[in-house]
Amino acid sequence: MVRICDIMHKGVIFCYPDDHIRDVARMMIENQFRSVVVVHESGEVWGLISMIDIIRFHGMNLENIIAEDVMRPYQISVDPQWPLEKAVELMKRRKIEHLIIIDPHAGPKRPIGILTSFDIVRFMSRIETGQYQQMLKMPREESEDPSR
Amino acid sequence: MAEKVMHLMRRGAITCAEDTTIQEVAQIMVVNSIRYCVVINGRNEVQGIISARSILKAYGRNLNATRAKDILLPYTVTITPSSSLNEAVELMSRKRIEHLIVVSDRPGSKAILGLLHAEDIVNRMAIA
Repeated sequence: MVRICDIMHKGVIFCYPDDHIRDVARMMIENQFRSVVVVHESGEVWGLISMIDIIRFHGMNLENIIAEDVMRPYQISVDPQWPLEKAVELMKRRKIEHLIIIDPHAGPKRPIGILTSFDIVRFMSRIETGQYQQMLKMPREESEDPSR
Repeated sequence: MAEKVMHLMRRGAITCAEDTTIQEVAQIMVVNSIRYCVVINGRNEVQGIISARSILKAYGRNLNATRAKDILLPYTVTITPSSSLNEAVELMSRKRIEHLIVVSDRPGSKAILGLLHAEDIVNRMAIA
């Protein structure tokens, strides 16, 4: 049985509720992440900011907009030991792309990882991480070698 | 001058045929590090789009027996290169989609020119 903790990202990219929206956007681009977890000073999860939430503010004056204005509250609690089926079911039912994984041993609402729909696609494609460079390279090597 | 979609869109798209298996679609997405795949028919017309979330619909099924046409999201929301960027962004946030298919301006055309990514808009906002 595959558990959530087998394929999730360990660790989260997070910001505080009073961080500026522009910094959050920069954080996303630099880390190539499509979501940022909003964490309260106490370390508890408050909300989630996805790219869709940020582009709502396109064309507006961003000076006074902070993470708290942009985020959507996040209430779902997902245990890393759950089977993957349960996560898929939850994503389908709630129509969401990201699940924040909460460790019950670390205290209430402490994020320890994130599971995205793309992680599940990667799992379903049965391509191991690091294997795809090799897959991409193979046909190219053949065409570059004229003696063949 | 108001910015248009053509200034920010990415030309070209990664596509698959209607009868591609889901296993292959997932591989196309992972190898190219993309979260969508545009489904086209034999005449290169857009049929729909498969996102990472629509692949989840096939979870637990036989991935080699399920085809792209079984799970695709039908092609409904598109824009043209001359649409205004604000209109496109408004459409994206209303429908909560991260990729918009850009089709040719020609009436009745379903020829795909490229895609507009939410990522590029966020990038624009980060450096503005």
